[in-house]
Amino acid sequence: MTTVACRDFLDRFDSSDSPRNGSPADLSVQAHLRHCPSCRSFVEDLGKIRAAGAQLAASDPEPPARIWFALRAELEKEGLIRDTPSEVPSKSWLAELFSGKFSVLPRPVLAGGYLAALLAIAFGLSGPINSRINRQRWLDGTQSSTEPLSAQLMSAEKASFSSWPASETPVTASLHQNLEIVDNYISLCENSVREDPENELAREYLYEAYQQKADLLAQLNDR
Amino acid sequence: MSTAQFLPLRFNWKTGLLAPGLLLVTSTAVFAHNIEKHFKVEPRSVVTIHNPSGKVVVKAWTKSEVMVIATHTSDKVEVDAEQTGNRVDVMTHQISNSISPEDLRADYQINVPEDAELQIHDDSGEVSVANVLGDMNVETVGAGVDLEDAAGYLTVRTVGGSFQCIRCAGRLEVSSISGSFKLLSLRSYHVHAQTSKGNILLDGEFLPNGIYRLKNYSGVIEVHFSPGDSFDLSATSLKGKVNSQASLIPPAHAHPVSKFGNAILGTFNAGHAKVELSSFDGTINILKRE
Repeated sequence: MTTVACRDFLDRFDSSDSPRNGSPADLSVQAHLRHCPSCRSFVEDLGKIRAAGAQLAASDPEPPARIWFALRAELEKEGLIRDTPSEVPSKSWLAELFSGKFSVLPRPVLAGGYLAALLAIAFGLSGPINSRINRQRWLDGTQSSTEPLSAQLMSAEKASFSSWPASETPVTASLHQNLEIVDNYISLCENSVREDPENELAREYLYEAYQQKADLLAQLNDR
Repeated sequence: MSTAQFLPLRFNWKTGLLAPGLLLVTSTAVFAHNIEKHFKVEPRSVVTIHNPSGKVVVKAWTKSEVMVIATHTSDKVEVDAEQTGNRVDVMTHQISNSISPEDLRADYQINVPEDAELQIHDDSGEVSVANVLGDMNVETVGAGVDLEDAAGYLTVRTVGGSFQCIRCAGRLEVSSISGSFKLLSLRSYHVHAQTSKGNILLDGEFLPNGIYRLKNYSGVIEVHFSPGDSFDLSATSLKGKVNSQASLIPPAHAHPVSKFGNAILGTFNAGHAKVELSSFDGTINILKRE
């Protein structure tokens, strides 16, 4: 059996780390560990880190309510939000975010926020369908995803309409006209998805139409 | 580097007085403001143009110089052209709060070096670019966009404006809501064209390893091919028709899109390029080039 110096220990330890195979290299590492408190301490620390990592991976804890309260308090302190906090953090955080808490932000920023949120949701949902997911779950998932999206876009549209000037320029008229076109496609795609909820292409078209609408609303708000 | 010549000119209206008939014809030009500026630039200069309304014509020339000629009729707008380092910024901005769409109009004729990068924003009017080989980004609402002999990374985004590209190379990404696209004598290796309510025509070379993605909701997507072309084709219309004159070798494995709507899939010759066409309820035609 060869002896191992501390400087060689890490290399040897990597190779003899997991399964104890009883090889000469493994035995020399173990012998070194018995006589070297420094390396022994290192291996013990490593073990603890692994155990903690495994625990973290096993559980996916929901952040405690105090985190949300602290965040909210900080945002209020900085003047970014104005409302008083509710007792428990809402599940529909997206709806809350866009329903007035960021009303102090400029409209283009708000519109950009809408777009970013929509894109994130759309891309998250437009991935490949896991064939094990049953039809009903899939349908429920689509409905629960698209309904808030649709509602958010509608409220954004209402807010935008209320702030538009009475007289339209040819450019804003063109944007409105194209908004109608997109609305029509959203309606067609929603029908298609409703008829055939597993149709990935129809779903993809639907999300793209939502993106286009968000984009158009952002352009309208910029004016 | 600001060696700009600043030549604000007024139309010579005395000439007009000598010819009343001519004055009548050119009455709108009487108050035209003409501005001409020149900027010396280094290779790979950047030119940005921001014009709410009007015609923007950009042409490449052999000089290491950017020339801007602007014309506007209203006193309620101003034209700025400034240089910062190797970038030239051209902008129309309003100097009055109450302004009609007609007052906003300014027309530009701009000459740039061949390798210049362009960033153009023109809401309404028309954008035309020829022989510029640098990267290009064009955004419009209603303005149509015409590119000729362009290369580089080309991104074009319109809301209702149409787009035409003749002999374009490089990488092309174009999107619109209701604009139609014509991609003629195309030599691009990457094309991504998407419009909602518009037609798309692609007539050009399918380069080896090239990717050509055309998509719309409704309207017609038409692709022309020659017998010597080589591509893998995937054409799907969810609710519309797909017509193909290409004799394709069917794919070895079922494609996921083939179960939705009407689809034609297969390989033409060796399948060197990838052609993906999709429509929601439009018609897709893959036609042999005449």
